[in-house]
Amino acid sequence: MTDNEQKIIFEKWLGQHKGLIFKILRAYAFTGMDQDDLFQEIIIQVWHSIPSFRQESAVTTWIYRVALNTAIKWTRKEKKFSQPETQEVVQQLLQENKVQIDERLSWLYEEIHKLDEIDRSITLLLLDGFSYKEMASMLGITESNVGVKINRIKKQLIAKSKKYDYHGI
Amino acid sequence: MEFEELQQIWDSQSNQSLYPINEKALHNLIRSKKKLVNSITNSSELLLIIVNVLSGCVILFMNLGTQNISMYILSVWMFSSASYLLLNRVRRIKGGHQFDMSMLSELKHAISIATYQVRLSQIMRWNIVPIGLLSVLGVLEGGKSVWIIIILLILFALAFFAGGLEHGIYRNKKRELEVLLNKLKRESSDDDH
Repeated sequence: MTDNEQKIIFEKWLGQHKGLIFKILRAYAFTGMDQDDLFQEIIIQVWHSIPSFRQESAVTTWIYRVALNTAIKWTRKEKKFSQPETQEVVQQLLQENKVQIDERLSWLYEEIHKLDEIDRSITLLLLDGFSYKEMASMLGITESNVGVKINRIKKQLIAKSKKYDYHGI
Repeated sequence: MEFEELQQIWDSQSNQSLYPINEKALHNLIRSKKKLVNSITNSSELLLIIVNVLSGCVILFMNLGTQNISMYILSVWMFSSASYLLLNRVRRIKGGHQFDMSMLSELKHAISIATYQVRLSQIMRWNIVPIGLLSVLGVLEGGKSVWIIIILLILFALAFFAGGLEHGIYRNKKRELEVLLNKLKRESSDDDH
């Protein structure tokens, strides 16, 4: 694959699927700086993954897989070990947007953010409509285990939402 | 709220760009990083290989024609260390990494890289001991001042200490990954029983 072909695919993927990357950013990184840092990591991994893509799965599934694997391993501590960037690269990739965000959605993201890294990824996959089979394949665990984890997460989120309702926020 | 309501809240978010992307910065990032994989491991390996080869060469050429056996041994030791590092590097790269892995395999791969870093940093730390001893012996054979030996010993002790700190960082990183792996696997085993 030539650099140009890779660039064309990358731009197409990013244009069509950036929404899912933003969801992962919001679930895994809280501050603007962290989100920018994680976005850089995900983008690099997505770029590197393009030649390995064999169209055996949907592009959405592929990008989700790459982005979640990157997010799970990502921590702010990694920054200490990374090489200094050139001034050009240091520019923030993500810019502020004035889009009005639903308060309940912000609450939901906060609750997802409180889960551990593994449960966060399962919650995102669940909310984005992936089947147990797809989740099991992406996580490398059995379907029944996915089911167990999802039941627990659902109960947890419903309990939290009842408190949220109770406080009338 | 029931889960269906949470699902509705989730579905209400549009796919529109929540954060506009700075296209120029993005292309700069891709250009600067597109050939960079496993950067930390890569750079520390290359640096160690270069330092060992250069030191071996300098020690050898500075002592050519002298009777200082320790310095010849030290030079050979440096070349051997560089060869060992090179061999490990080739093995690691041959091990390769494909992107179509599950999260479980991805974490296992990350742990194998971390294990490699932990082992490498440990070996390089203890490698300071024979290098230090041979250097001191070489200086003694050369009939240099005792102060040079003391300074050398202090420098090697500092290097040994710094090596310990580096090793600790890699070990902690590996432990964090193992915790994640256990989280993913734990309920898998519980579920099977």
